[in-house]
Amino acid sequence: MAKIAAHGLSAETPAGWDGQIYVRRPLPAEALVQTAAADRGLEARVGESTAPIVHLANFPLPADRADFGGGAVELMESGAVFIALIEHDPAVVDTPLFRHPVPWPLSPDDFAPEQMQRTLPGQAGLQKFFATKGRAFCLYVVIGSYRTRGVLTSVVNDALATVEIS
Amino acid sequence: MLALVILLAIAVALLGVLVVGLLRSHAEVLRRLHELGAGIYDDTDDSVGGAGDATAGVTTPVEIKTQPGVAEPRPIASEPSAAQAAATAHDISGATPDGGAIAVAVNATNHTTLLAFLTSGCSTCQGFWQAFGAGEADALPGRDTRLVIVTGGADRESPAAVQTIAPSRHTTVMSSEGWDAYEVPASPYFILVDGPSSRIIGEGAAASWSQVFELLTNAVADAGIDPLGRAVTTPSQPGRMNGAERADRVREELLAAGIEPGHASLYPSHGDVFPEGQATDSAQGRP
Repeated sequence: MAKIAAHGLSAETPAGWDGQIYVRRPLPAEALVQTAAADRGLEARVGESTAPIVHLANFPLPADRADFGGGAVELMESGAVFIALIEHDPAVVDTPLFRHPVPWPLSPDDFAPEQMQRTLPGQAGLQKFFATKGRAFCLYVVIGSYRTRGVLTSVVNDALATVEIS
Repeated sequence: MLALVILLAIAVALLGVLVVGLLRSHAEVLRRLHELGAGIYDDTDDSVGGAGDATAGVTTPVEIKTQPGVAEPRPIASEPSAAQAAATAHDISGATPDGGAIAVAVNATNHTTLLAFLTSGCSTCQGFWQAFGAGEADALPGRDTRLVIVTGGADRESPAAVQTIAPSRHTTVMSSEGWDAYEVPASPYFILVDGPSSRIIGEGAAASWSQVFELLTNAVADAGIDPLGRAVTTPSQPGRMNGAERADRVREELLAAGIEPGHASLYPSHGDVFPEGQATDSAQGRP
């Protein structure tokens, strides 16, 4: 079991799991504006949030993938799970959308095929927003088989139990 | 007559020079063979060519060198336990070049992993960085073989330098611990790990990606893995499961119900299936 920690987040990856904590790189045009703004001591209000993101998966994560698992979830087999913890701007912590406690442990009933960002045959997902310690997050989980969500939910919960937010 | 004698003398002199040249050449060949270790295990009988005998075989270790820029092979472990330990694979974890954290599963997986230990500075490594960036390693032989590039950690490498050359299409991990765990002798160095057995099935160094690709093909073939990486089962149709997926589903549902391999319910007795008095002809067997 390996521990990964960065940007005030940490998690442990069980045997056979991949994990990564990263900050989304801004697009080239966004980076230019952000650099210019930083040079002038200004806040660049351009592009999406570049807050940290945690990915955990019990299958090989491709290097080139999207924040919500695009490019990875298409590779999932029936026993696979994908977890994304995406931080949002702290300014939204007190908004109704994020006014929820840490959502795990999850229930099998939390998963539904309709909650996928893009519906894939057999798979199911969930998306929950929450805030803790002054930080706002979106938890997005995909399981490879809706039929076996009972088993896969416990797998997901075991992995989420290792996540720490500081 | 005088001219004939002079010609004969010249011919004899030339032949003499030729003989001397041949003897010198022969001596040089023998000296080189001696340096290369020829006859190293020839003398099994001490009575023939014992110590001090000029004809004795070479008994000192022979130095073998690789091409400049290519790592030398790992020493062979003398003890079986040491050899077994050396063949054990390790998961890789460390930092990403952009300051994140990453863990890559190598053991207990269903695929093979090719670990490419590179540095940002070595000249031989540059060809590999370029080949990986150009997509030459996108399709690898073996069981869904995955390429993972491993550089030293921030204590040995400049993250900015690694970020500049790391290809986005492959996973790059900065991990000095990974180098230490695999006892990487030099860079570039490649290690192939079989995930299901968590064992190293091939390793070595080369000067170009084409050489590594050939070594990789041979290694997976030697390990009994289809070099073409063909799937054992046919991929499933959209909305339908293939055989392996159905087997996985059945296994998972049985496990969820508490029925593990060897469970008694999986091996019913004759009486369980055909209660007494209700036996059929087929159960009892037709004459």
